[in-house]
This record gives sequence, structure tokens and C-alpha cells, in this order.
Amino acid sequence: MIGALLYLRLTSLQNLLQSRLRRLKQPKYLVGAIVGAAYFWFFVFRRVLPTTGVRGAPPELQALPLMFIAVPVIIVGAKRVIEAWIAPDDKPGLAFTEAEVAFLFPAPLTRRMLVHYKLLGTQFTILISSLFFALLASRWVMLGGNFLTHAVGFWVMFSTLNLHTTGAAFTVTRLIDGGVSKLRRQIGVIGAIVLFLAVAAYAAWRTAPPPTPAESANPLAFFRYAAGLTDQGVLYWLALPFKLVLGPLLARDWVEFARALAPALLLLAAHYVWVVRAETSFEEASIALAEKRTALIAAMKEGKYRLGTAKAKARREPFRLAPAGGRPEFAFLWKNLLSTSAFFRPRTALIIAGLIIAGCAWLSAQPAHHTKLAVVGGLAVMMAAYTLFLGPQFARQDLRSDLSHADILKSYPLHGWQVLLGEILAPTAILSTLLWLALLAAALAFQPRSLDWLTPQLRAAILVGVALIVPILCALQLLVPNAAVVLFPGWMHATRHRGERGIEMLGQRLIFVAGQFLVIVLALLPAALAAAAIIFLTQWLIGPAAAVGAAALAVLVILLAEVGCGLWWLGGRFERFDLSAELRP
Amino acid sequence: MIEVTGLTKRYGNFTAVRDLSFAVRPGEVLGLVGPNGAGKTTTLRCLAGIIPATAGTARIAGHDIAADPVAAKRALAFFPDEPRLFDYLTVRQHLAFVARIYGVAHHETLAQPLLEELEIADKADQLPGELSRGMKQKLAIACGLLHAPAVMFFDEPLTGLDPLGIRRMKDSILQRARAGATIVLSSHLLHLLEEVCSHVLILKQGEKIADGTLAEVSARFSNGETNVSLEEIFIRATGGTES
Repeated sequence: MIGALLYLRLTSLQNLLQSRLRRLKQPKYLVGAIVGAAYFWFFVFRRVLPTTGVRGAPPELQALPLMFIAVPVIIVGAKRVIEAWIAPDDKPGLAFTEAEVAFLFPAPLTRRMLVHYKLLGTQFTILISSLFFALLASRWVMLGGNFLTHAVGFWVMFSTLNLHTTGAAFTVTRLIDGGVSKLRRQIGVIGAIVLFLAVAAYAAWRTAPPPTPAESANPLAFFRYAAGLTDQGVLYWLALPFKLVLGPLLARDWVEFARALAPALLLLAAHYVWVVRAETSFEEASIALAEKRTALIAAMKEGKYRLGTAKAKARREPFRLAPAGGRPEFAFLWKNLLSTSAFFRPRTALIIAGLIIAGCAWLSAQPAHHTKLAVVGGLAVMMAAYTLFLGPQFARQDLRSDLSHADILKSYPLHGWQVLLGEILAPTAILSTLLWLALLAAALAFQPRSLDWLTPQLRAAILVGVALIVPILCALQLLVPNAAVVLFPGWMHATRHRGERGIEMLGQRLIFVAGQFLVIVLALLPAALAAAAIIFLTQWLIGPAAAVGAAALAVLVILLAEVGCGLWWLGGRFERFDLSAELRP
Repeated sequence: MIEVTGLTKRYGNFTAVRDLSFAVRPGEVLGLVGPNGAGKTTTLRCLAGIIPATAGTARIAGHDIAADPVAAKRALAFFPDEPRLFDYLTVRQHLAFVARIYGVAHHETLAQPLLEELEIADKADQLPGELSRGMKQKLAIACGLLHAPAVMFFDEPLTGLDPLGIRRMKDSILQRARAGATIVLSSHLLHLLEEVCSHVLILKQGEKIADGTLAEVSARFSNGETNVSLEEIFIRATGGTES
């Protein structure tokens, strides 16, 4: 029977690889694969491959591996373990697909066979992840060992973690079956953690000398001191399971690796025995989990799943939508704002603006805090740049999210440009508000004392000019991805799916980002040239502040014309747009 | 009133609909029927202005859907097989949104009786995710009916409905037709056509095989036999194959 399950796993894997290779016949995937592979070569592998080989870390960096590798690993691993014990409201179950549930659950298989099948499936992911991380780790100077020891070390670590969370799921299921409430379970787990930490702290206080001032002042020295505490006494036993799991990964040479591997494998084997011997009824919970996963994947494929999007719940309307007499485009703004977090409302923006004004005024009034004011200004400029360039990738409450409703949108009595304009209004409003707040903070925080030419009038002109340009600049930025949806729906349909994976998908996304950057640069060029010419020619006649104002108006007019032309042209394309035809293979 | 002349839709070398002509008058219900891939949905989507036809004309309530799409769309409602709803809008907010798009004044006074008729008034503040499949379908219908369309297109209107939902959907279609609406629906369910449609149009590989009243089409393919079922007529008309 295990042979049949192994056949299913291997055949599925083989077919997956074949289908990935087959789709490279399509130019968009081939180009994507080339770009993705180039990215990995130039930014990841080229840097890591030449320096593989056994070596020891320099003495002064002995504690660094633990500090930079062990601490994050322990934090992430501990979080997963604690979640596995505390979080489930209901029986956690094992993650099967709906097809696996349909074929394997009614089949004459024991629970133990199903568990083995599941463990076999996760091994594929764990092996790939271990190899990938080992490749990355070969460049980390602070880590000893070599590629092979790292790969095995990561494999031991991931496998143990996987077995532990699976065992925890079974145990939690058994506790729930036994009538143990979530609260009692949480109290038990949190109590155990608190007890663990209390014993550790007490043991450290009783047995260890306090850190020297030098150790307290230097994070690396302090970490070396803290790590040293776990070498003896009660702390040794408390930290032992974690040290055993991390041992092979942190081994500096083959001898150390050999010594660390045996106990790590023993711990892994103990986990394995725990999992396969746990006779728990996981089927019901696994079916529910499979349905949930299927729904999630379907949402991803329809582009409905978005990072950071709050769970759907009825929200207060951002503004009152009068049914008749107003522009229909504002109905899209209203609808798309409703799909965002309640944070993105005018009232919140006003409160933040008030806080910025009050905070900057307070800092300005205290000469001792002027440095902090400069930091606030710098952060505001950084946030503005981030919002302007990356914001359109995150604020997707536009046609990118509504592509699955294209049929309905097209049946509305509206011109194509009206639909497109309506669709980009919500992200434009969100990004513009964020940029205005950043500008406000930057303007209040930036108080030059040595730049005499930067008069208050000129600063005001720059501020008002930039604030005026911001919405239309955001609209232009957002027009590009929305244009891509209309012009290359097949491409966008593939790249926006979080469910789609592979190097070719990464390449496609990189191409899109580069394309967007190029289009924006080209679109801004005429406006930038016009602004420069106006300032250069008129500042002698009307003064710098007025020249900046005139330049801002010129930029505004040019960008408005570009956005208008873009909307008009794309609107026509949208009216002729047929998603079903575009997605034909 | 729907008037279709020489409607053709091509995707590259593939012709989905070929030279289709027919007319549907107010109060009539036309059933589009045909095997899978016959071009039923493509025809409906062309008529609703969702996709442009490659050739031919379609006039909806007197407006050419290609030349004056906005005026034509004001007069029509399209109901897809799956209710396409916005995840973050409640039932009431859906109606408010559609009212603004179609410029329906005083929509609250229209929406409430509509919600009550469709038995979803008590769900007015719920999101689509909280509604059953049938309730979602009802909400999609309420959105489509809010602007009192003269022409309605239903694509597989009974998909996913329970027996009670099917009965109500059929009643609703007949009620709108009696009120003077022009209705075209596509379906695989031949009993639906028998119960609801006054006219039928059989498509195969994008071409019209036959059209007319149910009696006319039956007479054409019954070969003089009596009591021939619509299923038998459909099989004879389409040759019993998809291709």
C-alpha cells in the first residue's frame, strides 16, 4: 500500500515538473524563466557558490552563529510550536487536498498509512527548503561547516519541527476529544512556558555570575555570556532539546557534526514514534481543513486574496453615496474604499495630521530635540518615496481586484474610461492621503537654518506645488498596472495569483516591475523638462516661488493630459476587452 | 425588444457564433438551447455588450449595442450563471452601488419591496460571504431588477438552486415577462424551456438550427409523430452530438 502512495507522490511530482517545463513553450513563461534564473544567478547563487568548503569561524565571531542564526530560528520555531499547542479552536487535523480526501479516506488504508503518506509529502518541501537554505548559508562567514552539513542540519531542524507540530496537532485533537477546553489547554501550555522561563531565570540567578559592564554594553558579548549560561546546571537541561536540534547546523567541522548528528537523529526518531503511535481521529478535521484550503486557493486564483486585506465584514460607509445625480465614478470609489480597512477613512487621516502637527510643534519648541525633528523629516521623506514607488503594488483596490467582475462591470451603462477612472480612484485617494501626510511631516520637520535661498515663500510654493501634483502622479502610477490588466490580462492573470509559483513567475513579476518603472519615467519626462524650463526661464522675472508655482501648474496640466489620454485610450480597449478570449490557451 | 441581425463572433480562426439573426418582442421569453460549446453564452454576452461582436448588429430596446452601448445597457440586465457579487458590500450596499451606477432615484423605496419579494429583506446588512448560494442569486437578481430593465438576459439561471429556488426563479421570469419585459435565457434544462419559454432557438457550433415558438420547432422535428418530447426534438435537431 505504501508503494501506491509513493507512486502517487512521485507521479504527481513528475507531472508537476513536466507541466512546468511544457509551459516554457509559451514565450511569457520562457522569458519569465530566463529573467528569474538570471536574478537568482546574479543576486543569490553567484555570491554563494565560490566560497563553499569547510572552514572555521574566526575566534572573535564564535558567538555570532548562535546570535544571528539560532535566535531567529528559535523565535520562529518556538512561535510555531506554541501556536500548534495553543491556537487551534477546533481539532487541527492534517493538511490533505480535497482530491486526497476523496481518494484516500475511503480507501482501505490505516490511519498510520495516511500519516506516513502525509509525512512523505512534507519531506519533499523540507528537502527543497533545506537545499535552498544550505546554498544561502554557504556564504555566511560566521557559520562553520560546509554545504552538506548545512543541508543535513536544516533538514534535521525542519523535519523535527514538522513532526513536532504534527504530534502537537494529534495531541490537541485527543485533548479536545477528551473534553479539555481551549482555555484549559492555553492555561496549561502558558503555565508550562512560564514555569520553564521562571526555572531558567532562577537557575541563572543562582548559579551564574552577573554580566560584566563590558558584556552588558556589547550585544555580541552579552549573547556570548547568555549562551555560556546554558553550558551547565539546570539551564543546560532546559536548553538541551533546542541545542540538540540546532547542533548539526551549527557544527563547525566534520567531527563536531558527527558528534551532533546522532543525538539530533535520536530526538527526530522520538518525534517520529510519537506521531505514528498517536492513534487520533484526524479525518473530520482534515476534511474541513481541505475545504478551507481549496476555498483559499480559489480565492487566490480569482485574485480575491490580498495581503493585508482584512477579513470581510460589514463596514461603515466611507461617505454617503447619493443614489442619483452624482458621478457614477464615485460609486466605484465608495465601493473600493469599503473593501479596505476601516483605517483608510478621512477621519483617521485628520487625526494623524493633527498628531503630526502637534508632535512637530512640540519638537520644534525644544532645541534639544532638533536632531529628532531631522530624523522625523528623513523618515517622512523615506515613507513618501516608498509610498510613491511601491504603493501601487500594494494598493490594489482597482481593476486588478475586480477582474473577476469584468462581465458585470461591462454590462453597466458606462463608458470604458468611466469604469477605469472609477476603479483607480480609491487607491489614488489612499496613496495621495499617505503622501500628503508624509509631506506635512517633512515640511514641518525640515527647518533649514543655513540655506538662505530657501525662503518660507519658496518652501510654501514647493509644498503646495508637490501636494497638487501628488494625486495625479498617483493616478498615473496606478494607470500602469491597470493598463496591464486590460492589455495583457493573460499575463496579469498569471502573475497576480499568489498560488502560482516557480522561477518563471518570479521572472514575470520582475519584468512587470521594470516595465512599470520605465513607463513612469517616460511619462514624467515631458513634465520634468517643462518644469525645469519654466523655472529656469521665469525665476528671474517673477521670483523663485512664483516660478515653482508656475512649474507645478505646468506639470499638473501635462500629467492630467497624460492620464486623460491614457484613460480614454484604455477605456476603448476595455470596451473591446474579452477576458475569456484572452485567457484561451 | 431585441433585434439581432447577422451576429457573428470570432476568436482568431474559431467562429463561436455565425450569422445569427432573430427577434424577441416584449412579453416573450426566448430560450437559447444547444450542446456544450454551441455559442449560447457568447451570444448572450454579445447581446449584453460585454464583448463586442465581430460582425452583425444587435438592437436592445431600439439602441444599437455597438453604436450606443450606454443607452442600450441602461435598458438591459445581465444575469450570469454564477452570481458575481462584491465581497465587501452588504446586500443593501450592493443596491446603493447599482442605484448610483444606473442613476436610480429614491432607490430605497424601490429596493425594499424588491428585497421583500425576493425574501432577502432580513439579510440586508449581511455580506455575500454570509449568504447561501440561493440568497446570492437573489441578490444578483435584485441588483439587476432595480433599474426596471426592459430587456433581461439570463445565463443558466437555475445553476446551483434548490427545488424551491428553481420554482421561484421560474415564477420570477414569467412574472417579468407578463409585465412586458423581453427575456432571453440560455439553459441545458429542457424542462425549464417547456415551462417558461414562449420561443426557443437551437444553436449548434455557433449556428442557428431552428427557432420559433415551441410548437413550431416541435412540428419541424417531430416528423409527423405526436407526443414527441422536447428532449427528443433537441436530440434530433442537434444530431445527438456536440460537434
